[in-house]
Amino acid sequence: MSKNKQQINPDLEEYTKEQLASRKNFSLKRLFNYAIVHWPWFILSFLLIVLTTASTLIQPRIIQVLIDKDISILISDYESQVVKDIALISGAKKALFYLFTVIITFIGTYLQAYILNSTGQKILLNIRQNLYEHILKLPVSFFDRYPIGSLVTRVTNDTETLNEMFTSVFSSVLRNAFTLVGIIISMFLLDVKIAIRILVVLPILIIISLVFRNVMQKIYFAQRRLLSIINTKLSENISGMRTIQIFNQEKQISEEFDEVNQEYLILSEKEVRNFAIYRPAIEMIRSFVIAALLWFGGLRNLEGVLTFGILNAFIDYIQRFFNPILELAETYNIIQSAVTSTSRIFHLLDEPEETSGGKIAIPDKTLRGEIEFKNVWFAYNDSEWILKDVSFKIEAGQFVAFVGATGAGKSTIMNLLMRFYDIQKGQILLDGRDIKKYKITDLRQSIGVVQQDVFLYSGLVIDNITLKRENVSSRDGRKAAEIVNANSFICELPNQYNQHITERGSTLSVGERQLLSFARTLATKPTLLILDEATANIDTETEALIQDAIRNMANKRTMLAVAHRISTIADADKIIVLHKGRIAEQGTKDELLAHAGLFSILYKLQYERTE
Amino acid sequence: MNEYRTIIPFIKENRWRYFWGILALCIVDIASLLVPQVIKRFADLAQFNQLTKTNIFESIFWIIGLGIIVATGRYGWRINIFGTARKLEYWLRSKLFNHYLRMDDSFYTDHRTGDLMAHVSNDVLMVRNSMGGGIIMIFDALFMTFFTIFMMISTVGLKIALIALSALPFLALTVFLMAKPLRERSREVQDTFSELTNEVQENISGIHNIKAFSIENNRAKSFLKINKLYQSKNINLVKLSAAFDPLITLIAGIAFVIFIIFGLRELMTNNITIGDFVAVIQYVGIMIWPMIALGMVVNTFQRGIAGMTRINEILAIKSKINESEEPIPLNKDKIEIEFKNVSFRYSQDLPYVLKNVSFQIKDGQTFAILGATGAGKSTILNLLLRRYDVTAGNIYINNIDIRDLSFEDLYQAIALVEQESFLFSRTIAGNIAFQAQSEIELARIRRSAKFAQIDQEIMEMPEQYETWVGERGVTLSGGQKQRISIARAHYQTAKVLVLDDALSAVDTNTEHHFLNQIKDLKSTLLIVSQRISTVKDADQIIVIQEGKIIQHGNHESLLREADSFYAKLHERQLLESQLNRNNSSS
Repeated sequence: MSKNKQQINPDLEEYTKEQLASRKNFSLKRLFNYAIVHWPWFILSFLLIVLTTASTLIQPRIIQVLIDKDISILISDYESQVVKDIALISGAKKALFYLFTVIITFIGTYLQAYILNSTGQKILLNIRQNLYEHILKLPVSFFDRYPIGSLVTRVTNDTETLNEMFTSVFSSVLRNAFTLVGIIISMFLLDVKIAIRILVVLPILIIISLVFRNVMQKIYFAQRRLLSIINTKLSENISGMRTIQIFNQEKQISEEFDEVNQEYLILSEKEVRNFAIYRPAIEMIRSFVIAALLWFGGLRNLEGVLTFGILNAFIDYIQRFFNPILELAETYNIIQSAVTSTSRIFHLLDEPEETSGGKIAIPDKTLRGEIEFKNVWFAYNDSEWILKDVSFKIEAGQFVAFVGATGAGKSTIMNLLMRFYDIQKGQILLDGRDIKKYKITDLRQSIGVVQQDVFLYSGLVIDNITLKRENVSSRDGRKAAEIVNANSFICELPNQYNQHITERGSTLSVGERQLLSFARTLATKPTLLILDEATANIDTETEALIQDAIRNMANKRTMLAVAHRISTIADADKIIVLHKGRIAEQGTKDELLAHAGLFSILYKLQYERTE
Repeated sequence: MNEYRTIIPFIKENRWRYFWGILALCIVDIASLLVPQVIKRFADLAQFNQLTKTNIFESIFWIIGLGIIVATGRYGWRINIFGTARKLEYWLRSKLFNHYLRMDDSFYTDHRTGDLMAHVSNDVLMVRNSMGGGIIMIFDALFMTFFTIFMMISTVGLKIALIALSALPFLALTVFLMAKPLRERSREVQDTFSELTNEVQENISGIHNIKAFSIENNRAKSFLKINKLYQSKNINLVKLSAAFDPLITLIAGIAFVIFIIFGLRELMTNNITIGDFVAVIQYVGIMIWPMIALGMVVNTFQRGIAGMTRINEILAIKSKINESEEPIPLNKDKIEIEFKNVSFRYSQDLPYVLKNVSFQIKDGQTFAILGATGAGKSTILNLLLRRYDVTAGNIYINNIDIRDLSFEDLYQAIALVEQESFLFSRTIAGNIAFQAQSEIELARIRRSAKFAQIDQEIMEMPEQYETWVGERGVTLSGGQKQRISIARAHYQTAKVLVLDDALSAVDTNTEHHFLNQIKDLKSTLLIVSQRISTVKDADQIIVIQEGKIIQHGNHESLLREADSFYAKLHERQLLESQLNRNNSSS
């Protein structure tokens, strides 16, 4: 097989900043489309965020009024006991109101988090399902060039990263923005002059945060790149460990790995250092602001224009003022990785799906099974022709064998018949109609294939036969197993048809797996049967069982077989000898024997020996 | 915590950094807890109208002074503790990887690549987080709690402090009670996530099968089931986890209100000043964080311990193949190989894969091993290359048991070309020479490439020998890969060349050419093949079936044994060789 697979590694795709920006807007818009259906929930959490932010922000204000109105009376030496008692009661009322805001905050925060998370989960469920179903519908050629690992990452980890987008990012951005605005408004309500003076630091904070963000963005970008190199190296070296050891390369490889590992460490330390500067810098500004507050507030208090309650409330607001800014800076990082995941997901969703074929349906058992290849040319890659001008005709009910060396194009013919790939030139006809005119699912369901490699799902034996297809009951499955003589070994399994099997570390032998594959295919009694080297690598005993099975069902069925063994081929109605993408010989056994070609030499050799 | 024994050497080495980091953390905590004291004094002065410019200055001096201490301290602990945690990440990653480099083949059959990678990435990350953020949170939470309590008592006396602290036991209880169900639910989420991953992995691997049977819809349904399960497990977790922070805030808020109501009376009776009142309010606010942190600490360390346990398990595995401590030096000018009554099985409860196999290969001979898939051909090579050690019998090279040879001598004596040759993502030159870029000699590489008949094709590539192979570069065809790996083996200039079904992707002509060239090298050649054409010129051929040698001789003698495995195989392959002969004549 010289299928020159041009593999791409989507994890290593490195975007330029501009590409990232243009893609970001686009994919975020599409992400938004997934979210918009749930708008009532988003509105509700929006309202809850407003409510909880307001109730949190009102708390310092309550304390301020409490201090200035009630406590100042309570501690005054000049007020009467009656006034003090009234103040005590009004203070207690304020305390209860405070309690009320605490409870509101609790309920609001919880509900908001719950609603956002469960809505986020609903959206993710949809995205994951859409993505997965989309992948299943991609054409076979797509899987030749896209590594499986990356596809798995798209469906699992990337959607997981998106979760953050709907939950923490949404609530954090809103809450922090509201808090910031709320605090600013509250400060203005308390004292305009002081508020204005404090707000002078805001631009400084924003500039520092922006600079920090830019530095961190570069570091994170480099980190992600290095991390993906580390992972690639790891996976490669683990897979190639045998080669490394046999070629005495442990030291060399270890040094190479250490190089990246160290590079990553250096970046990590840079990241730590940046945070270690940014966070304290903000702290420092906070201290300066509080100091400034004490200075202005103290002076104004001296002048008697500012109560201590207000000053205290300012101190409280200042403490809260810095947190939203710090948190917004961190949110930005989450947004970054979510954006990367989003664009990867939508990039994959944009891959064109496989055609669904034509409009013609193939109702059950109506296919005659007549096949014709008319001057078919085909290449996996544009340049290398795998099939060159191949023409042949197979009548309904015939048994045709394909013979040829590895890479001659035998398996390709089978792939084309199933429409795994489309041909470049020529025509493939089924019952006289171009196969492109049939619905692709109908086409594939009417053709039964047994391949050399058997794919088993982890699950029960019976499910591996029925594949949970709607048109295959478990009775059909058992019957099929009996027909192909798989019944005997299945019944020896501890749980028989309910035995759990796995794809790896399977307890079944290659031959047994092959029998299961036969049962799986024959369960629907397809009109057209393709055996693609289905009996290769099997011991003679198993082969005899399978031969039996074929004889039990081959009558009145069109059967195409790719095989090396003359014994299998000998019964064929027609033998097609392929060589380097062309048909070297074709005809019935007798015809081929008569014209003294390759087949006749071989046949005679074998025939004489067995005589 | 015993799990952390593996990293004790690292911690010892970095103990001063941890010490300074924790010290800085304590200083930061003390300094930030003194801030409310400054404000309290300020408030008291304001209350009694004793505020003057001088004491305003004094307060400002304290605030800025404490601010500077907090900022420098924070820088100190971040650099020391977070920085060290990153070093630990590097240290552990490197330790694991170097461990992997020493592991034998059976280790790699027992462990999946994905899992081995997860240890190096996720598990290391969890340990890193526990030794960075985790350590900080523990010390921060404990120190803060105790110091806040101390400050409260010293500010307002035990009685009032106790009222303000009434919430503490409830907070602790909440953290304690919620930890277990939270852990269980998040474990369920993780388990379901790996089930989901498996489902995706398995189905995408079987995509050809899904398409052939046109069962996309029922695979989608099957995925929907697990997808929904995952969603419900997540929501189940959120129900609880979303309550954690608000609950802590709620309890602290209630305590706060109780303190206000109580404090009003105390204020009225002048038991406390307004400054005390304000300070305690701030202290109650400060208490919330350590409580949340305690909840996070439990989680972080649980993950850290889980990661550490998995890493320990891997590190505890010893390679079954060990190099001799006092190896006998090998003369590599002349190599003779002998298998003497070699038997092998993978483990005691598995059947023998090789049974009593004996043969001798003279220096310069061509020796071929033939047999069906699973007969034991590759096992013979694996034993010779010490991928596994024999169960019984001996393998000698120049009459020295191979277990007495150093790995270096053994692998320098033998060069291997595998059926599925593994190429690394580096340049073609780097793949052939398999050396650091600086040490590569292009002339020698090209000689090897010419030998493997790939030089011309490489020179036609735009970047020639600098062409990058693999995921980020050009993808080579199976035949090109095999020839590059032949060049790689040739480059080693080993006395013994082993071809493990290595010529299957090249046509018979090229194959024939190679075999002739190899003869000119005068090296000992060991060929494993399923093709008669490959082995027919060998000096000795053995046929292996079910782990036993069933035929031993040369092409002519083996063909004469009528109805033998060799004779039958010869017939079966006639068709293919006919076709190829046809090709070469046309």
